[in-house]
Amino acid sequence: MTRIVVLDLHGQFTHLERRALRDMGVDTAILDADTPPAEVDADGVVLSGGPDMDRIGRAREYLDLEVPVFGICLGMQVIADERGGRVGGGDYGGYADVDVEIVDDEDPLVGSLAPDTRVWASHADEVKELPDGFTHTATSDVCGIEAMSNVEEGLYGVQWHPEVAHTEEGEEVFENFVAICESG
Amino acid sequence: MVETDDFIDEAVAEIREAVGDANAVIALSGGVDSSVAATLAYEAIGDRLTPVYVDTGLMRKGETEGVRETFSFMESLRIVEAEERFFDRLEGVVDPEEKRHVIGEGFIDEFETVAREVDADYLVQGTIYPDRIESEGNIKSHHNVGGLPEVVDFEGIVEPVRDLYKDEVREVARALDLEEVISERMPFPGPGLAVRVVGEVTPEKASVAREACHVVEEELEEYDPWQAFGAVIGKATGVKGDNRVHGWVVAVRSVESRDGMTARAQEIDWNTLQRIQSRITGENENVARVVYDVTHKPPATIEYE
Repeated sequence: MTRIVVLDLHGQFTHLERRALRDMGVDTAILDADTPPAEVDADGVVLSGGPDMDRIGRAREYLDLEVPVFGICLGMQVIADERGGRVGGGDYGGYADVDVEIVDDEDPLVGSLAPDTRVWASHADEVKELPDGFTHTATSDVCGIEAMSNVEEGLYGVQWHPEVAHTEEGEEVFENFVAICESG
Repeated sequence: MVETDDFIDEAVAEIREAVGDANAVIALSGGVDSSVAATLAYEAIGDRLTPVYVDTGLMRKGETEGVRETFSFMESLRIVEAEERFFDRLEGVVDPEEKRHVIGEGFIDEFETVAREVDADYLVQGTIYPDRIESEGNIKSHHNVGGLPEVVDFEGIVEPVRDLYKDEVREVARALDLEEVISERMPFPGPGLAVRVVGEVTPEKASVAREACHVVEEELEEYDPWQAFGAVIGKATGVKGDNRVHGWVVAVRSVESRDGMTARAQEIDWNTLQRIQSRITGENENVARVVYDVTHKPPATIEYE
């Protein structure tokens, strides 16, 4: 059975990420952010959302675990920051309904949602500059970089919350991530 | 989703094994989580379970009578009438966190009295999975009756629905044949109407909030909201029968949601909104104004405090 763990960066929706995975029959668990990566045996890792880049425990080390990593909201910002991109405050807070345009329909994580998808978001910060080696995969009026991928490294991120019920094609994003983990 | 029949069998067996021949108590709020936990526990250990319902004066209209009827099959049910004690404690308390704290303490005192009386060794709680993940993160045990286990030295705490989500608890409630009013019941916050009164909680404001909630629930039934209520949010000027009134402002809120984590303010027909306004201002002479809250969650929360 495929096992995907959720590293809890103190997000209010962390348990819904676990639920989305559980509901599609994946073996899953929520891990404390300070869990040493060496102790983790998984086919994939989700980095949850959260309130503060200073409270992410050992999240950065998980990028070197050599399994696919899916960062959600703060989780995506952690990936960007760790790999040399830039994170900063957005001009306009992204809350509730956002229309997201998929700009790379070949992307294994969000490409299947092209041409656009309606999502729920909740963030003040955002990724301002992509790290080297990453592809910009989605955008919106309120946030330039809504999603990014580095297929070679197996690192993926979305700024919105695919785990909440109001995101229309959230399950599909998780299904795509499960497929990425299973083919890895 | 949860396989309800298997779940019920396993939960009942688990409670029976955990409690053994001892006595247990559960705080029954009338909400779906504690109702399901109490029904499972009653099935497991019968009258060795004492369900305790505390009427804080901050309950919904008809709630106490409803609980009395729905759970009349539990001979051990205790209904504690503590309205006056709660309003006394709440006098002059304005800060939302302090309000929650005061109510939590009052609740512990009432509950502790009964727990000692019936010689309870075990505490059963209707904690559900999301309760265990606090908004601050860190997976830790969440005490529905905040702090009670620190006051009463229980031998153990049993949480039969701890791995379920709200919608799954409702499925179990249906499978347990709990009346519609319980299984389909809207979530109601632990501190009750206190969080639907911004600022100090007085019997007058609580009463306005109670009547407003009742009107809103009745009028919006067909919209099938996850939660719908009225909250007293301040004072404003109005004019009634040629007299100026400085009366309460009631905010009406109605949201749809799967799990309460995100919510969408519902689009309500104008005539329905007007009927709500008319009933609330007409039936409550001290209400000057009714407004409708259009904010989703995020950025707002569902409740006001």
